[in-house]
Amino acid sequence: MNASNTPFDYFPLILMFIVAAGFVVFTMVVTHWLGPKRKTKIKLDTFECGIESKGNARVPFSIKYFLVAILFVLFDVEVIFMYPWAVNFKELGALGIIEMFSFIALLLVGFYYIIAKKALTWED
Amino acid sequence: MNNILLQSSIQVIPINWYILLSAALFTIGALGVMFRRNAIIIFMCIELMLNAVNLLLVAFSSFHSDAAGQVFVFFIMAVAAAEVAVGLAILTMIYRNVKSIDIDLLGNLKN
Amino acid sequence: MLLNIPLTQYLFYFLSFVALLCGLMVVFSKNPVHSVLYLVLTFFAIAGHYILLNAQFLAIVHIVVYAGAIMVLFLFVIMLLNLNHDSEPHKNMLLKGAAVLAGGLLLMVLTGSLKGAETLAMHQPLNTQVGLIKNLGTVLFKDFLFPFEISSILLLGAMVGAVMIGKKEIK
Repeated sequence: MNASNTPFDYFPLILMFIVAAGFVVFTMVVTHWLGPKRKTKIKLDTFECGIESKGNARVPFSIKYFLVAILFVLFDVEVIFMYPWAVNFKELGALGIIEMFSFIALLLVGFYYIIAKKALTWED
Repeated sequence: MNNILLQSSIQVIPINWYILLSAALFTIGALGVMFRRNAIIIFMCIELMLNAVNLLLVAFSSFHSDAAGQVFVFFIMAVAAAEVAVGLAILTMIYRNVKSIDIDLLGNLKN
Repeated sequence: MLLNIPLTQYLFYFLSFVALLCGLMVVFSKNPVHSVLYLVLTFFAIAGHYILLNAQFLAIVHIVVYAGAIMVLFLFVIMLLNLNHDSEPHKNMLLKGAAVLAGGLLLMVLTGSLKGAETLAMHQPLNTQVGLIKNLGTVLFKDFLFPFEISSILLLGAMVGAVMIGKKEIK
C-alpha cells in the first residue's frame, strides 16, 4: 500500500487551524480578563465621528453590488475545472488546449454579454 | 507510525456509516425545507441536501477507488453555483416587488 | 498500542457530530445570519470528511466554492434584504409537527433500507492517489469531456439569466 499520501499529511494543516483559532480565543479571553472594565452608556455607543449614532449599522445597500457578487460566484467555479487542466497540461497536449479554449470561449461570450448589457458599470 | 496514527477513514469506517451520515444530513435538509418559511433558509437547506449527496458520492468513489464519483461532484458544484446565482437573483427581485420572501405570501403571486 | 480505537474513528465521529449539529442549527436558528454561519461550519466539517476519504483536492475546492463563494453570496443577500432580524412569522404548530414527523419518517425509511444492505468491502489494494488533482484531471478531460463542455453552457446560461433578472429596473 502506498503510505506516501494519507490524511496524516494534513496534520500540519490541522495544527495550523488549531493554533489560529487558539490564538484568537486566547487573545479575546486574556483581554477580557486583563483589561479594566468601566462601562458607561456613551462608551458602549457605536463610534460615529463624535456624532450621535442613529439607526442600524446594517442598512440595505445598493443592489449594484449584488450583480457583481453573483458574477463572481459564476466565474469562481471555473477554478475547479482549470486547476486539474493546468496540472495535466503537458499530458493532455493540443487536445487539452482546444478543450479548455472552447470552454473559455463560451464563458467569454457570457462575459461579452455582461459588458454589452453594462451589468458591471457603476452608473447611478 | 503514521499509518497507525491516522489512517484513511476507508480503512476503519464501514461504508454504512457514511451512508447513514449522508441520509441524516439529507433528512435535515428536507426537514428544513418543510419547516421554514423564509425562502433563503429553504435555499440553504437545498444546498445542504446537495452536499449530503456529494458526501455519499465521494465516499463511494473512495471505497471503489474510482475517480469518476469525485469528478461528478465537480459538476454538481457547478450546477449548485449556477442555481444559487439565478435563484438568489430571482429572490432579490421578488423582494423588491413584494417586500417579503415568505413563501406563503409567494404562493398567491399569480393573482 | 495506547489507542485501541484509531484516531481516524474519533475524527469521523467528531466531524459527523459537528456536521449534524450545525445542520440542525441551520434549520432551527431564528436569525438567518446565524443560519448561514452554521452552514459554513457544516461545510467545513464535510471538507474534513473529504480529507479523511482521501479526496484532498475536492476538500479544498469545496471550501473555496461553497464556504468562500456561495455562502458569501447568501450572506450578501441577507444583508442586502436586511433580514438580519427575525422577521419570519411562524408556521402554525400543526405544520411544524407534520414537518418533523415527515423528516423522521424519511430518516427511518432510509436507515431501514440500509439495514438489509451488505457492507461494501474496501477496494483492494488501497489506492490513496485517487483524489489527487492529476488523477482527477485525467479522468475529467478524458472520460467526462462532454459534460465539461456542457457545464460551460450551463454557466453561460446562468450568467445571462442572472444579468437579465438582476438588471431589470423596477418602475
